[in-house]
Formats: sequence, structure tokens, C-alpha cells
Amino acid sequence: MTRLLELTGIGKSLRGQGEPRTVLAGLDLAVHSGESLAIVGRSGSGKSTLLSLIGLFDRPDAGRYVWGERDITALPERRAAALRSAEFGFIFQRFFLLKHLTAAQNVAMALINGQGWLPRRARRERVLAALDRVGIANLARHRPARLSGGEQQRVAIARALVRGPRLLLADEPTGALDTETGNLVVDVLHAATKDGCGLVLVTHDWDHAARMGRVLRLADGALVPASAPDQPSAGQP
Amino acid sequence: MTRPSGGLRSALVVGVQGIRARKLRTLLSMISLFLGVLAVVVVQASAETANRAAVADVELTIGKDGTRQAYLPPDGKTVPIALDTAAGRPGVVVLIQAQAIIGEPRVGPVNPGGMPFDMAAGEPDLGRYNQMNCNQYGCVVTEVDKATQGSAVELRLTGLTADVRQFRPFRRLSGQWLDFTSPPSLSPRLVLNREGAKGLNRHHVPAEMRLPGASVNATPRIIGVVDDGDAAPAAYVRADELFNWLNPATLANAGTGLQMMVSPEAVDTIQILKARLAAAGLDPNSAQFETIDSRARVDTQLVILQWIFLGLASLVLLIGAAGILNVGLATVGERVEEFALRRAVGTPRSLLAGIVLAETLITGLLTACAAIGVVALGLRYLGRYVEGRLPIPLDTNFPWQAAVAGIIAGLVAGLLGGLIPAIRAARIPIATVMRA
Repeated sequence: MTRLLELTGIGKSLRGQGEPRTVLAGLDLAVHSGESLAIVGRSGSGKSTLLSLIGLFDRPDAGRYVWGERDITALPERRAAALRSAEFGFIFQRFFLLKHLTAAQNVAMALINGQGWLPRRARRERVLAALDRVGIANLARHRPARLSGGEQQRVAIARALVRGPRLLLADEPTGALDTETGNLVVDVLHAATKDGCGLVLVTHDWDHAARMGRVLRLADGALVPASAPDQPSAGQP
Repeated sequence: MTRPSGGLRSALVVGVQGIRARKLRTLLSMISLFLGVLAVVVVQASAETANRAAVADVELTIGKDGTRQAYLPPDGKTVPIALDTAAGRPGVVVLIQAQAIIGEPRVGPVNPGGMPFDMAAGEPDLGRYNQMNCNQYGCVVTEVDKATQGSAVELRLTGLTADVRQFRPFRRLSGQWLDFTSPPSLSPRLVLNREGAKGLNRHHVPAEMRLPGASVNATPRIIGVVDDGDAAPAAYVRADELFNWLNPATLANAGTGLQMMVSPEAVDTIQILKARLAAAGLDPNSAQFETIDSRARVDTQLVILQWIFLGLASLVLLIGAAGILNVGLATVGERVEEFALRRAVGTPRSLLAGIVLAETLITGLLTACAAIGVVALGLRYLGRYVEGRLPIPLDTNFPWQAAVAGIIAGLVAGLLGGLIPAIRAARIPIATVMRA
């Protein structure tokens, strides 16, 4: 397994109306290709902030971010956008499907982002392949309103997979789903790692976290190995 | 062919998707913009139509753009040289002008000096009178013989060596124009202008034409009527039919005029004429050719009005752009998550701005197309309505300049209205999707 990313000594404070609040302090993390990693922690512990930093949505206040062999700590926005497009796939708790577009068009959104241009036929093939990968190719022409929650999330996963990312970042992807559907979604995400894609899953659900290859808990701004909630070393996820 | 970049295509594809998703808003934007673009198209179309009419009028009385023309001294040497130089050369016409009286012999004309008939007293002048003949060299007052009671009309007779309509597009009103291919007739064939026809229609005169310097009075035949844009009575005749009765060498003393018109393709004729004048011992500089610039003459008259109206139209357009801006800001506010998501999947900020601009520009373009269509239809119906009701024919074909102005107006309004929403869209923080 090759190393995808390495975070070293990452610090991040969030500035609200009051004093800045430190959410990450001296955080270290490495993720490898094909690895599935779950991050658990209390609400407000900084899980989503960490995911924002990994996904280049935001920049750390301190520390170093290396992608492959490349230091991207202070990557300019335009290059960050190109890197997001080429290397990352994002899945959110809310599916963020555009209601006026079909499932296929929602997936194609990731291909129509100004980072190169695919002819219509090639685009369609890739979209259908991505939908097929998550098992809903038959729903390509359906609009989100006609899809169930699980189907909508699978469309969102297909959107994340369509460019063939090296790392999937999932922020509580099962948060809005029932247990059974959530398990199905985690199955789909887990299957993606079989092709060498890394997965970072932020979740509150220990059952889903436990299915990942590694589980880390974010507490006091740093990551520590996590164990099951009923074990003495673990707190509430 | 150069293909648009991925960014441009992406902006267009997503922009069209956005318009299709928000048809009502697009329609509202178009409605707010429509009046402004319509005003610009109407002003431009009106200006162009008026310009065409004015240019056509100037061309009728002066000549087409680019024509080289000169007034030459109508003396006994110059006239034959001019006629000889023009003979057989395409794109060259010599015009010999003289005053002619058609009517009873020894009868003074009802319109002394060839004045318009409505300005004349209406009765034949029975006493002596002074007739003033003018050309570019000045005016000559001639005392005309005492006339006896009768009926005659005076008009300006222009002898042509070739078809002058290549330079001055006379509009045929009735009958036919002069035929320069047939042998010359001993009975000069005349084509009257509108005022000339009015005079002959009003005053029934015998067909006997008096020409100063003519050996005998000729019997003319009226073969047609044209509109030459001249308010004074005039008639056109083939020069060779005129010279059956008139010696060119006698023209100089009869208040006549000599004019040469040369097309841009035949400018070498000017050099030949000057060389021949010099060879004959005449001053070659007496042939001072000037280039007719009808459009510039008209443009200076219309351009100020056009700019004033375009300024007013622009104000209406600005109000329309404000409507687009309003709708655009509201739309961006509703699409915060969409834009944040697009950034999350790798869309650069510039493309987000491009998507919003593409939507407003397409809206502006659609509005322009609608306005252009409405004005084109309006002009078509206007053309049908005014046909035959105006003294001059109006070219009501939709001017392409109005279409260009409409498209530019639509795009500018789209740009103005979309710029601020585009900047806002580009500034939407990507973390919006994480916190949602």
C-alpha cells in the first residue's frame, strides 16, 4: 500500500464571534491506498474540520500536509480545485443532489467542472459505470424526488466515484439513513476500497466504524486509536 | 475550427441546465430586460431606416457614394473633349444641362426660369422679364423677349451620354427610361421628372421645344416620368438626340452646364480628360473632380439624434439590467449549497462565476432574439402599411445593424446584471456543504 497523505502537527482554530476555538492541535495522520479509516468522536470534536482540511476545503493554521510526495499545505485555490477534482471523492450526510437534474446528470456534475472536458458519449459511459458500481444504473433517468434516501446517497457516492478518486472522504454518510440502508451504503463505500481507493469515514455509528480497517477517535484536537464503546478505553463516539 | 475550452463548455452546459431548471425566473428576467433591448433595437432600426431613406434621397439628387464628379466650363472646346472622352467608356456619363421651353412659339413660360409650378404665378408672363440662369460659375440674367399670350412651360433639360441612373438611382414613376442602345431619334425622347410631369399635366402645351442656340424647334416625345428628387421641373434626354438640334459649340452662351460623373472603376478617365484638356490648350485644373460621400453627409445629420435616442434606450436597458441583477442575487442566494458542492467536486471559483454569467448572458441573448424578432415583424407590417402612402419609398427590410445592436445590448445587460451575482457565487465558502 502506498501512502496517500500524511498530516503532521496539524493545528486549526475556528474563528466565530467570540475567541478563536482550537479544534485541532498537533494532529498527525497518514492514510494509505486501499485503506479504510473511520474517525469517531463527540459532536464538535473537529471531525468535519479535519475532513475539510484533508479535502482542501480549508487550510490548517499549523502543520504540514503532504499528498503523495508533494507538500500541499499552502496550495493555491485553483490547484486545490484541480486536486480535489482528480484525487478526492466527497460524500456528505445530506446528499446534495440537485433536484432539477436526473441521477445521471447529478453524477455527471463531477465531470462538468472545468477540469478538462469529456465528450458526451464518454461522459455518459463513465456516469453509467459509476451508477452501476453502486447498483442503481437502472435509476439513471430518475430525479432525486423519485429516489429513496438510500438511493439518493448511492447517487452521491456514484458522483464521488465517477472521476476515479484515490481517496474517498465521507462525512457521516449514513446519518440521514435507517440502519439497514446505512449498512448498504457502507457496503458500497467499503467495496470502493477494493480497487485501491482510500476511505476516510467520519461517523457516529460505531457499527459502521467497526467495519473499517482502522478506527481513530478525535479527542482534544488529536487522533488516538479507538476501541468499541463498551470497552473501558472508549468513550462515546 | 477552435473549440471552446472545457471551462467555457462547462459554464455553458451548467448555465443552460440552470436556465431550464428556473424557467419562470428566466422569463421574469427576460421581461425586465425586454423593454430595454427592444428600445435599443427600435432606435437602431429606426436610425438605419431613416439613414437609408436619407441616403437614398441624397443619392437621388447628388449621386451614389464614391462617384467622382466635376463641373466643367461649358465652352465650345471643353464640351466636345468631354463628349469624346466619355464616348464608349463604361462608368462615365456626361450631363449637358440647358434651359428648354416647351409650348407655343414665342410664348413666355408660365414658370419663368424653370421655377416650380406652385411657385409660379399661374398665368403666362405677357411682358418682358428677366430670366436668371445659374450654374457653378455663377448666375446670368438674361432679358427674355416679349411673349405673346399662350401656354408654355420652362424646364431644365439634361442631355445624357449614357444611363445616369448608375450614379443617381432615379425611381421610375411611369412610362420608360431612356434607351441608349437604339439609334438616336430626330424627335427627342424626353423623360420628365415629377415636377415636369406636373407642369405638362397642368398646362396642356403643344409639343414644340425651344432650346437656346438650337437651329429649329424640335418636337419632343414624352416617354416616361421619374422621381429625380428635384423640386424644379426637369427633363432628361439622350445627348445625341439633343445634338441633332443643337450645336455643342453653342452651349456656352446659353446658361448651360456641363457635368461629368465617373464611377470609381473608371477613374482613369479623369486623367485622360485632363490630358486632353491640356493638349487642347485648356486648363486641366478646370476639371476639379470631387468624390460624392452621401453617407457621411447624412450621417452627420442623423448621428446626434441617434445617440440621444440610444442614450435614452440605454437608461431603459440599465433598468432591465437591474432586474437581472435582482433576480440573479436571489438565485445565487438560493443556490449556495449547489455552488459550494460544485466547488467541492473541483469546480474553480472562476467557473462558478462563469456559470452565473453564462446564465445571464444566455438570458440577455434570448431577450435580444425576442426583441429583434418583434422589431423585424413590426418593420414588415410597417412596410406593408406605408407602402404607397409616403412620397418616397421606405426600405423596411430589417437592418442587420439593429440586430447587432440588440445582441450587444442583451449581452451587455446580461454582463452588467450578472457580474455581481457571479462574484458572489465565486465567493461562496466551500465549507458550506460541511456545515449543512
